[in-house]
Amino acid sequence: MSTISRSPAKRIQTIAIANRGEVAVRIIHACRELGIRTVLLHSEADVGTRAYRMADNRVCIGPAATAESYLSISKNVNGALAAGAQAVHPGFGFLSENADFAEAVIQAGMIFIGPKPASIRAVGDKISAKKIVAAAKAPAVPGYMGDDQRIENLVEEATKIGFPVIVKAAAGGGGRGMKVIRSKAEAPEQIASAQREGLAAFGSAVVFLEKYLDRAKHIEFQIFGDSFGEVSYLFERECSVQRRHQKIIEEALSPSLTPELRRDMGEAAVRLAQSANYEGAGTVEFLLQDGKFYFLEMNTRLQVEHPVTEMVLGVDLVKAQILNAAREFQVWAQESLVAHGHAIECRVYAENPYLGGIPSTGKLLGVEWPEGPGRRFETGFEAGDEITPYYDPMIAKVIVWDESRLRAIKKMNATLAQSLVLGVHTNIPFVMAMLAHPEFVEGSMTTQFVGTHFTQESGIGLAPRARTEIEKQFEKIALESADLGGDSNGRSLVHSPAGAIQKPWLGDAWRNV
Amino acid sequence: MKKIVFDDNGRKHVGAVAKQGSTTWFSFGGEVWTHEAEVRGRRGKVSASAADPSTITAPMPGKIVKVVSEVGTSVKGGDVVIVMEAMKMEYTLKAAADGVVKSVNCLAGDQVALGATLVLLELKT
Repeated sequence: MSTISRSPAKRIQTIAIANRGEVAVRIIHACRELGIRTVLLHSEADVGTRAYRMADNRVCIGPAATAESYLSISKNVNGALAAGAQAVHPGFGFLSENADFAEAVIQAGMIFIGPKPASIRAVGDKISAKKIVAAAKAPAVPGYMGDDQRIENLVEEATKIGFPVIVKAAAGGGGRGMKVIRSKAEAPEQIASAQREGLAAFGSAVVFLEKYLDRAKHIEFQIFGDSFGEVSYLFERECSVQRRHQKIIEEALSPSLTPELRRDMGEAAVRLAQSANYEGAGTVEFLLQDGKFYFLEMNTRLQVEHPVTEMVLGVDLVKAQILNAAREFQVWAQESLVAHGHAIECRVYAENPYLGGIPSTGKLLGVEWPEGPGRRFETGFEAGDEITPYYDPMIAKVIVWDESRLRAIKKMNATLAQSLVLGVHTNIPFVMAMLAHPEFVEGSMTTQFVGTHFTQESGIGLAPRARTEIEKQFEKIALESADLGGDSNGRSLVHSPAGAIQKPWLGDAWRNV
Repeated sequence: MKKIVFDDNGRKHVGAVAKQGSTTWFSFGGEVWTHEAEVRGRRGKVSASAADPSTITAPMPGKIVKVVSEVGTSVKGGDVVIVMEAMKMEYTLKAAADGVVKSVNCLAGDQVALGATLVLLELKT
């Protein structure tokens, strides 16, 4: 069906990327495959990053502070216009769910790669989304979403709902501007904190309250709508492994859904999208507790964890977004979508898991992700790049696919253990501990999993421990090798620790390979 | 970065090492850790343990969002004294012991470095 005259390049020759890091890289990959030029709209702090080097063209739109660069509608629109782009891809986070931005892009004569501004307004703002949910007859969690945003009133409403209650920034996402309130006493401070985070991260201090389900699973459905009004669901992702509502491990499909429940939830998600005339990629998030599901929120954009859906279905969601924006796309027929095998994604954050997960910034002295069958790495940083304190601490996403969930867990463990990162600490040891936990292995984890099993004195993470024998031996050898200086071109030295049986093929204890 | 192939009884593991000033970084089996060359009179290794309960320092580089307890306020161990923001997340810094705030060395909006002394407490004895 695709001919040269139907090529999206006809309508879209250049896409401006209003984002940074690994998602910018992801979009560049899709554009390269489609023969579309890319222009990266970046801040001064992101000059030394992978997306900056990969983009065909670049426009610096402002300083590191997000309010003056990535969150500035006018700077992004002007940058895209200056670079001669016909379309803007907002990625996720930043302005991706900002209807005013989508509108400004369209008014400037460009295509916004995402849903229509009216759909974003309808479902993106979590307060009006709840009204749509009621209209679409999707079950909702009890809560307060009124306009009276005075702290005294919110405390009173929270008390009416009954603690624990969760307070969320209406324009939020990604765990920012979200706090759990356990008692009336801590309510004022937690509400004020959520309002501040909302204002700083999304430009809006409006919050809403809802009942906090304390043993629920986080299950979200990927949906996609085309320009002909058709909407399909691309099954679910389970993202129950979260810390402070920030997802760490995601998988597709969920080990907890029966085919009937999957169909019911998928159809509810499609109804919801249709009631908002939704077009493009979107995600409907649910909480699942005691066999009942509750609508949580809808994200009107690509999701960080979209790769696990791509892996089990063999689709490319970013290309589909671009083709749909170019009016060259018909959504996959529901009955043609069959999931195959199991995919897991782990988010690698630059932080110290032995110190409660405090951010670890600095120059990435070295990094190597171990390639192999069924392994995929999405990363915005390479050796020599600086991990700055200005943005999200995620340095990479590691994604694996295998035939079954247990094999995928094993593959993920091996992949993480073989990953090399120097210059910053990473949460990899923490992720590996979670993957090995019996509750995760059997698939019964809830959103309480991390807090229940991994709370330490210093915060969420691992208890400090002494280096193991093998780590000490490695350290000794590596230290000697580092002191020898010289070869830093990735060539390796083989060494057997003292006392180990010498393998004849190793010859001397040291040799270059 | 230099890759090291480490032979553990016939099973090969690959790790890596890199030097950065007096710090050596190691990456092995998913773990990342550092080794500090001995430098007399310099501050020691990074430690998880709270060294001095009368001093509240920045555990990471970031921005001060709010100073909760001003000079002269009495605080109990566990009370929030400072709210910081780094990488778009808020972190609360709490008093490690009961005391009175003796000095506050930061204002809301300040960008502070890792390890900066933010608050000094006069501990209750």
